[in-house]
Amino acid sequence: MTDPDMDERLLRLNAALDGELDAMAQLAFEREMRDDPALAAEYRRLAALSDAIRRHAPREAAPQALASRIAALAPPAPPPESATATVVPLRRAWRDWRALAMAASFAVLGFAVGAGLTSLRTPSRSGGVAQNLVSDFARAEIAGQPFDVASSDRHTVKPWLADRTTVSASIVDLAAQGFPLVGGRIAVIDRVPAPTLVYRHNEHLVAVTELPPDFTGVRAGGGVETIDGYHVARWRDANLAYVAVSDADETALAEFVAAFRRGSGAATEPARP
Amino acid sequence: MTNLVAERRFREIVPPLLDDAYTLAKWLSRSPTDAEDIVQDAALRALSALSTVSVDRPKPWFLAIVRNAAMTFMARNRRETMAYAGDLTDLDALDSRGDDEAAPNPEQALIAAQDGERLRQAIANLPSPFLETLIMRDVNGLSYREIAEATGAPVGTVMSRLARARAMLAKTLRSEP
Repeated sequence: MTDPDMDERLLRLNAALDGELDAMAQLAFEREMRDDPALAAEYRRLAALSDAIRRHAPREAAPQALASRIAALAPPAPPPESATATVVPLRRAWRDWRALAMAASFAVLGFAVGAGLTSLRTPSRSGGVAQNLVSDFARAEIAGQPFDVASSDRHTVKPWLADRTTVSASIVDLAAQGFPLVGGRIAVIDRVPAPTLVYRHNEHLVAVTELPPDFTGVRAGGGVETIDGYHVARWRDANLAYVAVSDADETALAEFVAAFRRGSGAATEPARP
Repeated sequence: MTNLVAERRFREIVPPLLDDAYTLAKWLSRSPTDAEDIVQDAALRALSALSTVSVDRPKPWFLAIVRNAAMTFMARNRRETMAYAGDLTDLDALDSRGDDEAAPNPEQALIAAQDGERLRQAIANLPSPFLETLIMRDVNGLSYREIAEATGAPVGTVMSRLARARAMLAKTLRSEP
């Protein structure tokens, strides 16, 4: 009663859902799915199930008492009160910083309106992070390997990224706005792996790297700058800092950023002070 | 006495994985209080292991310890047997679409899956090799290779168990409550 072909098909379906196929196999699978409605339906069903499991059987927080007992097994070298003492000012500093950043972003906006966007196209020396990501982007483009996990399905991309980074990536579906998701990869910034989403826009790509919100070197703002011929935009929301690099023109990138912020920020935008 | 290097490694590795460990232990033991005992036991084992080994991939490493601690705990404290001989033939028993004449309706399956309690019950009823594979994948987010590492099963077995676990869940959710 066992049909080896069907087993194979089922294993492949699961592997595709879990982001475990390599880029070529994923491509073949997605093509096959286009031509085979039954396969596509099966895939959707499986994705819905996986989604439901994540929703209804989420990772639970360990009880505080357990966490304390575990922490007590290997107490940190410095006394605990100094540890708590640093946490609070950091948080506060971050809040102040955010206010500053917001002021700065208004300043940038004013400048942009006054001077016109072209003045922002001058090469910027502002930051190792953006420079790094531009190099990443160029390298990936030249290598013909713009992503490590190839999928237009965020159910595939998100867990793949989550397994490899500590940042919980926010993945926005922008297909309707003309920026379909094509895959994801990991960028390494200061030895920290950061999730990077790759979207397509006509013949161009937009790669968005998501960093912890306290990551230095990502200024708030929203203007498009040019580094080594690529366009770069940086912004933040309450949860993450973002750097988008693209070979598309700056209008397209600005559109992308606006759409992405609308998609990701609606629920997470911090309350204005 | 444990050495300082082990303690430093422990602080880096274990606390960030505590939620994953607790959730896995809770599913495997089906009891929140037992889960705490299991995780505490696993943490002690990890601490003593860390004085001699350094760890490349902390997550599958620590979850393997949690899983083994759960096995030991269950064997010691429960009458029910956990023994199960699962291997590559797991998939042979799988008739994912055997009941095809009733053309499984995606909407229906989806609606059923909305019912969280029913889904959790269906997961809890999976035999342990399928349960642990499913939880490690869909809750802990391990890759196939990492699950193989954590459970000591070949990747092919991991794949077939996962496929079968999902097929069993889908089937349960499709059937009448």
